[in-house]
Amino acid sequence: MTAATYTSAAPKAPRRHAFSRFCRAYAKRPAGLAGLGLLIAFGALALAAPLFIGDDQLNVIKVDGPQLSPPVDGYPLGTDQAGRSILLLVIWGARESLSIGLIATALTVVLGSAVGLLAGHYQGWVGKILMHVTDWFIALPSLPLAISLSAVLGQGAASITIAIAVTSWTATARLVRAQTLAVEARPFIERAKVLGAGNTQIMIRHVLPNVMPLILVSSTLTVASAILSEATLTFLGLGDPTSVTWGSMLEAAFLGGAVTAGAWWYLMPPGIAILIVVLGFTLVGRAVEHVLNPRMVVGR
Amino acid sequence: MGTGNSRRGLAALAVCALSLSPVAGAAAFAAPAAASAASAPQETTLRVKMSGSGVDTLNPFLAFFDGAYDIFAGIYPTLNSLDEYGKPGPYLAESWTQSEDKLTWTFTLRDGLKWSDGTPITADDAAWTLNLIMTDAVAGTANGSLVSNFESVSAPDPTTLVVTTKEPQANVTYVSIPRSGIPIVPKHIWESRAKDLKDVKNDTFPIVGHGPWTLTDYKPEQYAKFDANKDFILGKPGFDHMIQQSFKSVDAAVAALRSGQLDYINGVNATQFTALQADKSLLTVQEVGNGWTGLEINHNARTRTGKKIGTGHPALGDPVLRHAIALATDRKTLVDKVINGLGVVGSGYLPPAWPQWSWKPAAGEETPFDLAQANKVLDDAGYTKGADGVRVDPKSGKPLELRLGIHSDDAIDAGISNYLKGWLETVGIKLEIQTLSMSALNSDLAKGDWDLLMDGWTTGPDPTFLLGIQTCAALPKDDGTAGNTDSFFCDKAYDELFTKQLTTFDQDERAKLVGEMQSILYKADVNQMHFYANTLDVARTDTVTGLITGKPDAQGMYPAQSYSFWGYLKATPATAKTAATSAKEEGGGSLVWIGGAVLLLALVGGVIVLKRRSGADDRE
Repeated sequence: MTAATYTSAAPKAPRRHAFSRFCRAYAKRPAGLAGLGLLIAFGALALAAPLFIGDDQLNVIKVDGPQLSPPVDGYPLGTDQAGRSILLLVIWGARESLSIGLIATALTVVLGSAVGLLAGHYQGWVGKILMHVTDWFIALPSLPLAISLSAVLGQGAASITIAIAVTSWTATARLVRAQTLAVEARPFIERAKVLGAGNTQIMIRHVLPNVMPLILVSSTLTVASAILSEATLTFLGLGDPTSVTWGSMLEAAFLGGAVTAGAWWYLMPPGIAILIVVLGFTLVGRAVEHVLNPRMVVGR
Repeated sequence: MGTGNSRRGLAALAVCALSLSPVAGAAAFAAPAAASAASAPQETTLRVKMSGSGVDTLNPFLAFFDGAYDIFAGIYPTLNSLDEYGKPGPYLAESWTQSEDKLTWTFTLRDGLKWSDGTPITADDAAWTLNLIMTDAVAGTANGSLVSNFESVSAPDPTTLVVTTKEPQANVTYVSIPRSGIPIVPKHIWESRAKDLKDVKNDTFPIVGHGPWTLTDYKPEQYAKFDANKDFILGKPGFDHMIQQSFKSVDAAVAALRSGQLDYINGVNATQFTALQADKSLLTVQEVGNGWTGLEINHNARTRTGKKIGTGHPALGDPVLRHAIALATDRKTLVDKVINGLGVVGSGYLPPAWPQWSWKPAAGEETPFDLAQANKVLDDAGYTKGADGVRVDPKSGKPLELRLGIHSDDAIDAGISNYLKGWLETVGIKLEIQTLSMSALNSDLAKGDWDLLMDGWTTGPDPTFLLGIQTCAALPKDDGTAGNTDSFFCDKAYDELFTKQLTTFDQDERAKLVGEMQSILYKADVNQMHFYANTLDVARTDTVTGLITGKPDAQGMYPAQSYSFWGYLKATPATAKTAATSAKEEGGGSLVWIGGAVLLLALVGGVIVLKRRSGADDRE
């Protein structure tokens, strides 16, 4: 099994080596590089936004642009009803959209991996209960669950983050459990057990590093869907209407009659921004998947 | 990576569904309309948009929502009608007289009118309805305040109704008018329901009533269907049927209007109106605003006995703080930015549609927009700023962090909340915006579980009801029931004026009293009027005429429309030929859209398929 050579090679070779090999393999995938480029560009814009966007351009009581104007001088993507520049709003919106997406993913991954690892390792009643809980969550329709969760928790970024995490950890849990089962069946785990390794040591030192690549891949893909979910939930009005995110921009445009007014400059940019970022994460995720999963590598 | 793939597939589907949903919705709506047109080609149907508030209940004793009032105006009779100028006219009552002491009103009712099931309409029906509202607390939920001054109502014979009032009352002829007044219900249907009125849904169709229309079907959040009453005494409706269609978004309704699937929309938003003005096939009309949009402040909610209820911020009981909020609100900017200038800056409690009651603060007494002054009054009152810039209430020690409840799906509320948050932040008050559904917001309101709320009310020509929801009598009982208060306002002087204006027959004298009441409300800063938005109507010119009544003034503003009564009654079909040709034109336009959508779908689908295929190749 090629996977076995890869996994048993990892502990022997220095990590740096493995990483540079990963980078070289990744660099051969143009789609992955393009996705990475998109993400770096958006990430840099989002991080640098406070340097060139101030309260004066975002606070409705301070702006003085034309109202709902198509692109004109000084407003390359037009303005919203309050006279704010759509371009600046989209850039600013990246901050909250990305951070909710990333934090929700981190929560998802931590929760999902923990459940998956425990369920895979303790295959007795602990594993059964955990898997039944997971199945139960899978059976629940995620959008209504997320909506009711954020309604119960109150509005705002925190509740949306939690709602996304609670509804999307199940896939990671199943995935990690399956991989844990596969890893634990390998001889080196048996060797570790014979040498006296405890449950914790097996899970943290032996299984987790071998499951990590899979978690990495799954999380990159989770970010994409988390960002979509964030946009969906804020579009449905579950976010804070005064904070700027892509979803809330779409909501404001939609409710304010931008569709009837034909104000494409108000509807398109946040939509395209969501598209690009989701595409970026998906491309990166797939590239990482190809690099890390030897069964998907062709012609090596 | 099975899970990963299927999740992405779902996401792609969701994106498609999102981009296609308006088209799909329009198509679904087109189907039944086309079917009904085919089966009965000579029958005409007026298709209008149901009020955005929807219908809370079809029980006329309990309903509060505009959508319900619109329906009642068409299907239940009233004693009086209102003419175009807001003056009472005949309906069930042919004529009416007043006794010398002004305490007794005698209405002569028309003979020979019948309920839709054939039972004659008599004065007894009217007497029974009014008596029930006067004596039963549940029956008085919606309209109790209108008859609070009635001593007795009796029907000595089938065509005579005698109303005796406790004190002389000026507006008796406004008590039972279409839409904003009390609808008269058939006694033989409702007598058995009176016991459990609270649970009566009134949803057996066709509903027994009398009016220009009969309600034949109603599906919550979908539609209400009507048949015309060809024998209607005030004129035969111009259409054979009417459908009031519920739309979740006005944009969808506008799309339906543009493509010829809808004839009339009452109340588009300012952005939509501006865009539609350019469309030659549409008639765009501005009515003088008949309602206000404003902020309500929970200044320590109490029940009738004075028991504190709810979770309002204690500091809001302080008039200084409320005044500071008023000082920090720039109403002019709200009109300009939130409703594109299509409205009037707010001050008095009654809207400009009824100029006889309209009140403005005297020069020098109006609250200006002055952030510095707002900061100063708060500083002087001891609200010191904490480290985070938020002021602290000196009495309770609580920071001034206030909840602002706004209606979900309401762009005006969302717009205003952004500005309020900005202005109040500069004076050291932090707002937390809570988006609530209409029913959640109203339930919070009734329980006193709120700090600030965005609210709006419309009113007919008689201001009694709107003034009545600010009286002490409108406060809830200790068990939380029977209240219809709007802001837990309760003021002795105001209540005295309320009773006095009811008994004042001289119009100018009454207007003065009503003005004084508005002055009390204005100074209390509990109900802060932001603006009176013009009502913006759009109608197709090729399918309907005569819907808009009255003449525009010099600024092109029409008087407030009694659209759900006179408008729908007087509307007649425009010539059929033009309708067909324009439908064809519009059809061409929508074909382009559908074509575009199909192309988009094909593109997205193609990409997904290709992507999957390449993935599969990789796997092998």
